[in-house]
Amino acid sequence: MLKALNNIWKITKRELRAFSRRPIFLMIMFVAPLGFLWLFTSLMDAGLPTKLPAALVDEDDTHVTRQLTRILGTMQETNFVITTKSFTEARQAMQRGEIYAIFRIPKGTTEAALTQRQPVISFYTNDTYYVAASLLMKDMRKMSEMAGLAMTRATMRARGFRDDQIMGTLQPIVIESHPLGNPHLNYSVVLTNLIVPGLLMLVIMLTTSYSFGNEWKRGQQKHLYEMGNGNMVAIVTGKLLPQTVIYTILFWLFDIIFYNYLEFPCACGIPRMMLWGFLAVLASQGFGLLMFIAFPGQMRMAMSACSLLGVMQFSLAGFSFPVSAMDLPFQWLANIFPLHHYFVTYVNQALNGYAIHYVWTSVVALMVIFLLPQLFFWRLRDAFLHKDYKE
Amino acid sequence: MRKPKFPILHVWLDELSEIVKDEGILIFIILLPLAYPLLYAMIYNTETQRQLPICVVDDNMSDRSRDFIRRIDATPEVKIATHCTNMEEAKELMRQRRVYGILHIPREFNERLWRGQQTVVGLYSDLTSMLYYKVEYLAVINVAQELNRNIKVLERQGNATTAREESVARWPIRFEEVKLYNSAGGFAAFLIPPVLMLILQQALCLGVGMSMGRSREHFRGLVIPPNKHYKNALAVVLGKGLVHFLIFLLMGIYMSVCVTRWFGLPNLGHFWEIVGFLVPYLAASTFMAMFWSSFIYRREDCILLFVFMSIPLLFLSGVSWPGASIPPFWQAVAGIFPSTYGANAYVRIQSMGASMGDCHYELTRLWILTGVYFLLSWFVYLFEIRRSVGRTILK
Repeated sequence: MLKALNNIWKITKRELRAFSRRPIFLMIMFVAPLGFLWLFTSLMDAGLPTKLPAALVDEDDTHVTRQLTRILGTMQETNFVITTKSFTEARQAMQRGEIYAIFRIPKGTTEAALTQRQPVISFYTNDTYYVAASLLMKDMRKMSEMAGLAMTRATMRARGFRDDQIMGTLQPIVIESHPLGNPHLNYSVVLTNLIVPGLLMLVIMLTTSYSFGNEWKRGQQKHLYEMGNGNMVAIVTGKLLPQTVIYTILFWLFDIIFYNYLEFPCACGIPRMMLWGFLAVLASQGFGLLMFIAFPGQMRMAMSACSLLGVMQFSLAGFSFPVSAMDLPFQWLANIFPLHHYFVTYVNQALNGYAIHYVWTSVVALMVIFLLPQLFFWRLRDAFLHKDYKE
Repeated sequence: MRKPKFPILHVWLDELSEIVKDEGILIFIILLPLAYPLLYAMIYNTETQRQLPICVVDDNMSDRSRDFIRRIDATPEVKIATHCTNMEEAKELMRQRRVYGILHIPREFNERLWRGQQTVVGLYSDLTSMLYYKVEYLAVINVAQELNRNIKVLERQGNATTAREESVARWPIRFEEVKLYNSAGGFAAFLIPPVLMLILQQALCLGVGMSMGRSREHFRGLVIPPNKHYKNALAVVLGKGLVHFLIFLLMGIYMSVCVTRWFGLPNLGHFWEIVGFLVPYLAASTFMAMFWSSFIYRREDCILLFVFMSIPLLFLSGVSWPGASIPPFWQAVAGIFPSTYGANAYVRIQSMGASMGDCHYELTRLWILTGVYFLLSWFVYLFEIRRSVGRTILK
């Protein structure tokens, strides 16, 4: 036992020396994750994008439409950067990508409204820019709905109704929406919590298969095998331990910055998120190692597999497009990725504050991904003894 | 020494034969651009969430509340999976992820409506995905607005004598909501086009980087073989670049024509316009790949360097996260990558039917990037050739 521990320590020291010789490796380990942290926290600083550029086509141009557009101008998401009388001009601006939406009030709107001839106002959103279009659509729809209601309100006031009676007529059923755990619909909270740890997990997968592959590439695998005395657990532990420590510290740093400094909601407390972070690091290392075992000695194939699958796990985590809406095979596939399970755990624990037993499957899945390579250690041993580096 | 007649041709043939022999490079320049778009298109193929299960807590139990619930159940967006007797039961279902939202109808729902007062219906959404909130909110608000109009016209102002009068009371001002260019509001139609462009750039970087790393490994840190054809930097840059450029031009056409057709993605762009855009985009990406690759000393290093850039680049392109909300510093950073302009120009040509003139800004930037990266990689090869000559002399 003592001897095994001693071997682990020797391998760890050897690994640390190897890091110091490879600047690119250090860059990927430290600079990249911290760079992502900086990028995404500053990119989504405002939370939800606000004041998105749109165009106003006011062909009518009366005091009524100006009042309407003033109100629209005060809304959170809309910023009329172009005010014009020509729809073509607005449409061209949209095709040049300067604006995301057009609000159009056709000629004669006021007149038709006053004489009860049901004018039609229209708005156009550019849904190739999905997020911007959805946000602007919400504003403009609310505005158009309110324009009609304002007309009825004016009529009812003239007839002597009280304001509460009027509201009971205009909007008898009010919908109060409660997005749970993230009441301001702050994209940054969820997206940063998915992307930044996700990129770190991708880095972990890549560096795990890289550092194993490098042994074969440099023809040092036999030496490593002897140092570990043929004990697979000791070899893998010794080799991955420095990375585990570094990545866990980085993960914890993220947690502290997110929940303490940026004050993202964390209903379960920071220590528990740190525990899930640690599990996520282990699971990602397990995933990387598994890929290496799948292509023993073929560093490049293992890394290619890690990158192809690792980039895909962002889509399959299911934040922007829900997993439940995907075709069945992808719903199954999502389960092999550590990021999916980490994300589910995060949402349930930190965002919603549910008890642990509601996410036990994901926690167990993370542990299974971490431990799974042990089942294939025979294959790794075989690689150590009989496989050479293959281009 | 006799000068070789067409050094570009030699370099070109050399590079091509090296690539064809190397399966590691082939994975990135053939398999990746062929298969990855299919995979992505399949993930998002369903376009949107339909029939999302939600549960309802109906404390009112009147014919009107049942009518409200029935109408919501009939929307394409959500389906009422279960009825719960109280909120606790509903919350438990939500925790077990059997439903993704709760609709709560208050006890005095119908009574308040009869009294002519407002009543508040609660909608609680799970935020595992932003789309859950969006579809639930849309379904419920649409039904509520429809009912509100009915109540207003038929109950509160029940004095309309003609159908026309009723219609005017219902809609004093009508509005039309037009979703341009992605009329179904689908996810694939929004996300896949920019992703296709990113795949092109990233696969190019990986392929070029790997071929560079391979040369360095074979020629002991040099990027060019000690060979008389490799004396002219211009010829080397153009010859090598042309191989990757041509392969990826084919891949670009495959994505914008085949993948787009197979999965019914937006394809308003005219074929020659797409080619006219792909040429500067791929040229800029090729030279950028050649320049960045000069920092790569081992073939596997390029995977470390390029792969994880994909996700940040997607965000910086301004397609998934609105470009108008990106801070100026990051806009500047985004400006040095062709994918930023490529994704936007492609979306505009393919999804929005913009002409080359409408994409003038992006195309100019792409040509500028092509020039800059071409010069940079030319310098790299000038330096490398001098280094290799120096080394031969030392020998």
